[in-house]
Amino acid sequence: MLSERERERYKRQILLFGDEGQERLKKAHIFIAGAGGLGSPASLYLAVAGIGTITIVDMDVVDQTNLNRQILHNDRDIGKKKTVSAEEKLTAINPDIRVNAIDTRIDETNAARLIGNADGIVDAMDNYPTRYLLNDVAIQKRIPLFHGAIRGFYGQATTIIPGKTPCLKCLFPKAPPKEVFPVIGATPGVIGTVQATEVIKYLLQSGDLLTKRLFIWDGLAGRADEITAERMPCCPACGGIVTEKGEKKP
Amino acid sequence: MTVKVRFFARFRELLGTDIPAEPENGATLLSLVRGIAEKKKEGYDAIFDEHGNFHEFVIVMRNGKRIEHGDAAAVRVSDGDEIAVFPPVAGG
Repeated sequence: MLSERERERYKRQILLFGDEGQERLKKAHIFIAGAGGLGSPASLYLAVAGIGTITIVDMDVVDQTNLNRQILHNDRDIGKKKTVSAEEKLTAINPDIRVNAIDTRIDETNAARLIGNADGIVDAMDNYPTRYLLNDVAIQKRIPLFHGAIRGFYGQATTIIPGKTPCLKCLFPKAPPKEVFPVIGATPGVIGTVQATEVIKYLLQSGDLLTKRLFIWDGLAGRADEITAERMPCCPACGGIVTEKGEKKP
Repeated sequence: MTVKVRFFARFRELLGTDIPAEPENGATLLSLVRGIAEKKKEGYDAIFDEHGNFHEFVIVMRNGKRIEHGDAAAVRVSDGDEIAVFPPVAGG
């Protein structure tokens, strides 16, 4: 049940989807992998929307070079664990949600356990090896992976529903080369916000998800495009593991 | 035969986008994209390696279907095809 305070807090969005929708958001548990450029806007917008439980994982300490884009953290947080800073900001912006901030590196030994019984995973990572790991866990648990990535003025996002849409390996079988990527803060602002919107739509079961479509943001050209994409039957991650109906093959 | 080649993100910056092309019959996906990219060295180098193959991370799609790089030299383009060439990004 929503409290009176929650009804007031969420009044303007309850106009969109009613108490029932708000209750859905409250019951949800979303896992956010990363409290950096994408994790900042994604977690802030999910927190203010009233996602009942947010688990956010990061292993880094706030550095001055983060501050052009990682809007969860500010100058006074330099030297602080990103998880400590994230928990402070998210609970301050909405004290009616639960925030689990976990300071660790996501790897193959802990990914499935960290994600636990979450209803979905927000990919706010900065590298493909960890993204592929999140993809594997999403497939294993049959939960959506809300993918986002950015560089410079460019960004991409898609929503992966295991068994129904192409997975991350279907779309990107090979990782782009590692680099210290250039970025303007507004780019993860756009993509992280798209990811948060996707999570909310998924939980509310409303609208058209970015499934089987890669959303491409080109800030330099001021254009948004999309590429449609299909599952790859030979995909090493999801091909042969799940069918279109999400059933396990014998 | 008329086809359209769409470059995205950094490739668009280097080569432009929505490029109409009139390849000869029998042109392959690889030869088509190479021919367009060759007009600008920086663009070509962003997409192709020193052997003239797509860099392994480059995504090539034909009418919404991803084409394996190994097949790009064999897949012939057809009238009306839309080819997308996209560099995935990694930052977060």
